[in-house]
Amino acid sequence: MIDLINLSKHFGNIKAVDRLNLSVSSGELFGFIGPNGAGKTTTIQMIGGLLAPSEGSVMIDGIDMAKEPEKAKRKIGLIPDRPFLYEKLTGIEFLKFTADLYEIGEEVFLENTEKLLNMFSLIDRAHELIESYSHGMKQRLIMSAALLHNPPLIVVDEPMVGLDPKGIKMVKNLFRSLVKKGTTIFMSTHTLRLAEDVCDRIGIINNGKLIATGTINELKHTAQIGEADLERVFFQLTEEEIPL
Amino acid sequence: MKQAIILLNPRLLSFKNKGFAKDRSIRLIIFAGIGLSFWAGIFAICYRVLMYFQRVEDLGNILAYKLLSMVLLIFFSLLIFSSILTSLSNLYMSKDLTLVHSLPVSSEKIFLAKCIESTIDSSWMVVVYTIPVFISYGIVFKAGPFFYMDIVLSLFPLCIIASALSSIMVLVVVIILPASRIRSIFVFLGLALLIILYMTFRLLRPERLVNPEDFASLLSYMDNLSAPSSSLLPSTWAFDSLKAALTGDVSYALFNVTLSISCAVFLIFLSILIAKAIYFKGFSKSQASIVRLFQHKRERLDKLFSFLSGPTKSFVVKEIKTFLRDQTQWSQIFLIGALIVIYTYNFSVLPIEQSPIKTVYLQNLLSFLNVALAAFVLISVTARFAFPSISIEGSSFWIVRSAPIPIRTFLWIKFFIYLFPLLILSEILIVVTNLFLNVTPFMMYLSIITILFMTPGVVSLGIGLGAAYPDFNSENPAHIVTGFGGLVFMIISAAYIGAVIVLEAGPVYTIFMSGIRGESLSYFQLLWIIGSFFTAFVISVLAIILPIRFGEKRLIAHSSTGNS
Ligand SMILES: Nc1ncnc2c1ncn2[C@@H]1O[C@H](COP(=O)(O)OP(=O)(O)OP(=O)(O)O)[C@@H](O)[C@H]1O
Ligand SMILES: [Mg+2]
Repeated sequence: MIDLINLSKHFGNIKAVDRLNLSVSSGELFGFIGPNGAGKTTTIQMIGGLLAPSEGSVMIDGIDMAKEPEKAKRKIGLIPDRPFLYEKLTGIEFLKFTADLYEIGEEVFLENTEKLLNMFSLIDRAHELIESYSHGMKQRLIMSAALLHNPPLIVVDEPMVGLDPKGIKMVKNLFRSLVKKGTTIFMSTHTLRLAEDVCDRIGIINNGKLIATGTINELKHTAQIGEADLERVFFQLTEEEIPL
Repeated sequence: MKQAIILLNPRLLSFKNKGFAKDRSIRLIIFAGIGLSFWAGIFAICYRVLMYFQRVEDLGNILAYKLLSMVLLIFFSLLIFSSILTSLSNLYMSKDLTLVHSLPVSSEKIFLAKCIESTIDSSWMVVVYTIPVFISYGIVFKAGPFFYMDIVLSLFPLCIIASALSSIMVLVVVIILPASRIRSIFVFLGLALLIILYMTFRLLRPERLVNPEDFASLLSYMDNLSAPSSSLLPSTWAFDSLKAALTGDVSYALFNVTLSISCAVFLIFLSILIAKAIYFKGFSKSQASIVRLFQHKRERLDKLFSFLSGPTKSFVVKEIKTFLRDQTQWSQIFLIGALIVIYTYNFSVLPIEQSPIKTVYLQNLLSFLNVALAAFVLISVTARFAFPSISIEGSSFWIVRSAPIPIRTFLWIKFFIYLFPLLILSEILIVVTNLFLNVTPFMMYLSIITILFMTPGVVSLGIGLGAAYPDFNSENPAHIVTGFGGLVFMIISAAYIGAVIVLEAGPVYTIFMSGIRGESLSYFQLLWIIGSFFTAFVISVLAIILPIRFGEKRLIAHSSTGNS
């Protein structure tokens, strides 16, 4: 579903992402972890078509993001880490706006919004201005907007920030059920437990380089740690000192 | 096209959702009132000038047409400049860009939507305030209804041409500039503006109009002005069309309109083609953040302010640093620099010596006028920098709220930070212009002292009212002062300055007159003079203290109700 080929991004002298090669297949839930400033957000922005790579290419379901960006973006539901929302719009107006741009028909829109707003417990507040929403509510609205067009690929940066325990549980279950139906999810996170719980495969990025990929067990093997959790693996592979 | 229109929806909906808030109606009425009086004023002035021209034999029509071509040229250059700024911020700096670029819309459609937005943003004001000029032409020349239709027909494509040209320029410049310099673009723009303003000013040479002896050369001067109206300039098409419409030559008017429209259409397609090729590339490039233009040693600033207490010092240092690093501020500095250059330049070329009424009276009048003008510059600089200084704290205002210093101290810090540069600026301004004017030593001292008291008053009004009417969500500090609070600030500071000048001018006139007549002042006059100066002093002290108090109270109330 996603193929990153020699993907690089330079900001001046900083190599934010450095020759990344990665494939994520359909129906897979891929976790992307790494320390702060490792290049996760930059990678996700390139996958989402927000940032042009300095080198290399992004293929979404065989479509080159650089060549046919609209076609590729249509397949993606992007949930960025610092999302923008039009504060002076109501929740439902915002959803309508995205639906129009994805060219979703009126009926499908009504059906999907109701389902999503119910699922994200936003149905009572849908007609209020977004500026009156709490942080978590805004996050839920962004997720609803990203799921509105039933994308075959969901790309999430830090999904759980700001969600309450119920929300986290709900999103976890949602992701699992979506994956079961064949949706691909690419998710960056700092919550190692979450990655361990839901991800099929995990990639660890450090200083812009992908240093390991595989299932939890494979990673443990790479890190040459026997009976340890992902946390140990993470510290081992990123070569950071384990804080006391 | 459909998608481009959908992209405009949020703007319209936001406008609608905002518009229905209750407390807006009073503000709207005040704004409309002020706007309308400006409009009427422009109309009245233009109408009188044209009527005056009509009475001048032979020359009347030539003068009127020259004026029209000048108005259109200025109209067009204003449009170009304001569209460069708006398209730059709409295309590359708007906050919603990260959202819309992630949606399945092609970049040229985003470009188109943003361009429509910036065309409207940049031209509505220019159009609204030049319409009375054209209408007065219609009335004075007793033109038929076709002329009024022709106004719309020729101005509309002119706006589009200006906007398309500017967006093409912006597209190309962003691609050419190295990524780290994109945000310094404002510096270049500011410099360009400074040069353009200076050139236009030199070209127009308004001081010649003051000198009646030169009336013969005025003709040749006016003729010279026709030089820039080359037939390739879009503003010339509009001029030709309007002139033809005034004289009833419908077909030639329509011919020029057609010329404009076809040029506009061509430019639209050209800009879309260019956008298709390079807009996304430029946008992606502009996302990389800033490399600093000036590198400061942290310790140096810290040491400089080491006499201050800890929290106060850290706010002072932060304030200075953020100001120096925010390069969008620099364009404004250039703008204001241009304003000041032109202002002082005016004085240096003013032919006072040749004036027939060379009296003490005139000089007195001029030096008070000079104080008023310097105060006006002061107000506009304060409005641009000090007034928005609370609002631009924006979403980091919580740091101030949670810092271990009271809001009042914070406001006083802001006050002193803006006070010193502004005081230096206005004192230099007043001394230099007074030297040009050759004022008496007494007037020199008086204006220096007056400015010394006025500046803190105006700065305090700016900070206080800026705190009372904060706008933490604004993306652009230049927009903040256009709100209701900005209006209140302008009105109150103008009233304050007017009051001080009136309180001083009366007594000074009495002193001078008695000096000329060789009389001494009566006991009553002396009392009045002292009373008058004392009142001016009290007003100034109040103007320093009260606004900050008011701002503090409103700001605390504002943050405890939490509405923004
Ligand atoms: N717009 C930008 N301009 C310049 N450098 C940037 C920009 N965005 C990111 N970087 C740099 O690129 C590198 C990677 O940043 P990125 O945001 O991708 O990290 P991240 O893995 O998402 O970190 P975090 O876990 O903190 O979210 C960092 O060194 C960062 O400083
Ligand atoms: Mg990140």
